[in-house]
Amino acid sequence: MTNRTCLFRFTLVLLCLMLTMPALAQDDMAELTISIGARGFGDAAPVLIEACEAEVGGINVEWERISDVPNESRSIYVTNFTARNPKPDIIAVDVIWPGDFAARGWIAPIEDYFGEEALAEYIPGFLAAAQVDGSTYAIPLYIDGIHLFYRADLLEKYGFEAPTTWEDLIMQAETVVEGEANPDLSGFISMWAKIEGLFMNWLAFFQGAGGNFFDADGNLAINNEAGIKSLTTMVGMLESGVAPESILTFRPNDARVLFQQERAVFLMVQDFVLAPLTADDSPVADAVQFTRVPYFEGKDMTNTTVIGGFLLAVNKHSENVEAAANFIQCFTSYESQVQASLIQGKVPTRPAVYDDARIVEDAPGVAALGANFVYAFARPSANTGTAYPEISEIMQTEISAALLGEKTPEQALADAEAQIMMVMG
Amino acid sequence: MKQANRAGVYFLTPALLIIAFVLLFPIIQTIVLSFGKNSTSIFIGYEYIGLANYRRLLATPRFITALNNTLFFTAVTVPLELCIGLLLAQALNRRFRGKGLVRMAVLFPWALPTALNALMWRWMFNSEFGLFNAMLIDSGLLTERVNWLGAIPLAMYSMMFVSVWKTSSFMALLLLAGLQTIPDDLYEAGSVDGSNRWTAFRHITLPLLRPAILVSVLLRTMDAMRTFELPFNLTDGGPLTSTETLSLYAYRTIFQYVNFNLGSSAIIIQFIIIMAISLAYIATLRRGQA
Repeated sequence: MTNRTCLFRFTLVLLCLMLTMPALAQDDMAELTISIGARGFGDAAPVLIEACEAEVGGINVEWERISDVPNESRSIYVTNFTARNPKPDIIAVDVIWPGDFAARGWIAPIEDYFGEEALAEYIPGFLAAAQVDGSTYAIPLYIDGIHLFYRADLLEKYGFEAPTTWEDLIMQAETVVEGEANPDLSGFISMWAKIEGLFMNWLAFFQGAGGNFFDADGNLAINNEAGIKSLTTMVGMLESGVAPESILTFRPNDARVLFQQERAVFLMVQDFVLAPLTADDSPVADAVQFTRVPYFEGKDMTNTTVIGGFLLAVNKHSENVEAAANFIQCFTSYESQVQASLIQGKVPTRPAVYDDARIVEDAPGVAALGANFVYAFARPSANTGTAYPEISEIMQTEISAALLGEKTPEQALADAEAQIMMVMG
Repeated sequence: MKQANRAGVYFLTPALLIIAFVLLFPIIQTIVLSFGKNSTSIFIGYEYIGLANYRRLLATPRFITALNNTLFFTAVTVPLELCIGLLLAQALNRRFRGKGLVRMAVLFPWALPTALNALMWRWMFNSEFGLFNAMLIDSGLLTERVNWLGAIPLAMYSMMFVSVWKTSSFMALLLLAGLQTIPDDLYEAGSVDGSNRWTAFRHITLPLLRPAILVSVLLRTMDAMRTFELPFNLTDGGPLTSTETLSLYAYRTIFQYVNFNLGSSAIIIQFIIIMAISLAYIATLRRGQA
């Protein structure tokens, strides 16, 4: 009996302690949670979080590591935000989400905490993806653009310069693969699985053929000469064997692994591959170089660098919107972006950072990527708002159908056009 | 006596309330959502639109494809798993040295989480650096790489293969439990009457195993109809939507297109189909017992 009383009292005391504990920890510090992908920001995240905790003051920031696959992290946000969870306070959003999230009332307008002058320091084309009806809903964190990586040693061996047109690229790939006579070597690889990256890929081809998803009057303009030329070229690369059949199952990292194993001449993916490809233990470290994504002959004025990347936004139901905005200001500051580039090879969203002496000296790769962003263009997510995910899905499906030979390019584009018209109403 | 009963009710109430909250509430919420118009929030601005979501689904080719994929997947994998499971169970039911070890080995695929399984197989099926292509090409059985997960309809067959590999052992375990309830005297009596192995299996094992078979097939059918982790991790529903199951379609509708209402309708349709199949099984089971 006494034993039991003793246990009961002990439990009671324990319960009281547990109840008061959070209250004790809660002094005047604002508790913030920031959710960023583990690969996306990697080693730079803890360094910057600590630095900004000190600079902003009065905040405790916890890093919630989420998936780097956009669709997976998006699912987590959808769950949290439809339930109006005040956490995470700060989220990393893909460049195609702010319009959609803002329309659903999930993220807070934060331009007042920054001011016009401070906002003007970011790349305007990128910031525009987060601006809806005069309000700014997210701040650019880093760019992840698509570039053309190539094996400089192989091109040199056959007397080629880096290709600027698709016609050149296909000719070079065929020559090198034939000359090397290595059954494991592919000419061109990329991410042609049915993912957002496939849509980005086709957009680059499409823009390079002089196309534009929406014409000057805002009408859908994919079922035209440029559309057919771009899709036909992609199908042709598969048929002629310049691209291996397995490209249809590749996501960015699958393609990167193959290229790193010296099994491809050209690789067209986002710039996150630059760090692993040039690491000391990489077999292609000395051979890999990159240039802007090609265009079609006679279309050299077209923009072909599809930009992706992430921005930081504040959860509308966060209990500390102001502290969160201040934290973002520090996290995306000039100095933070220099650090992120040096530590993790992140590509800056402030044009000024590209010319920083430390970047030019210690991260020449990042500085060189900057040149390709002269030809940058964004996906049509700003104009399409909440309809974008479905539009992208339609495009991915129809492009895949053409690549798998289930439909002709003409048919696939006509079908895509009809479905998108229906979604947009 | 009466007082004890009343106390029992009191004790049960908290548990019943919790069950009602975590089980009943979501089901009702899903049904309610499936009749509502898609809006930016699932909590405010509900607008009843009757069967419009269901009509839209039935007119959506992608949904029909997902439905067909799910039914096809179930119809092929469950009978295969039953046959292989039965063979395994028969083998495991004999006495031999190291039986415990073999039983454990057979259970291994089932013990691994499906998602892990799927990732493991995705690497083995990989057309460029996967195990299968390397083995088949090295042994001269193939001259060209096969795109196991990137071709229609090969991706579906690959997925079925993984599912059969994983769940046959589960089937075997359930059937083994059934086999062990059959007394040995029946087989002895049978052999006195001149039965051989096949007739003993046909006239003793099968009839007595019937309840175990029906239960395990019921469990597997319900599972197969809800398959999600396998396509999600192995093929991502691709190529195109050739391996997209109902669960995957509903998940994408809800979490990627943020259309809780349409997704809920898809789930309710799935629920009705599974319910109908289960009731049919249970009716068969009852008939056998009567």
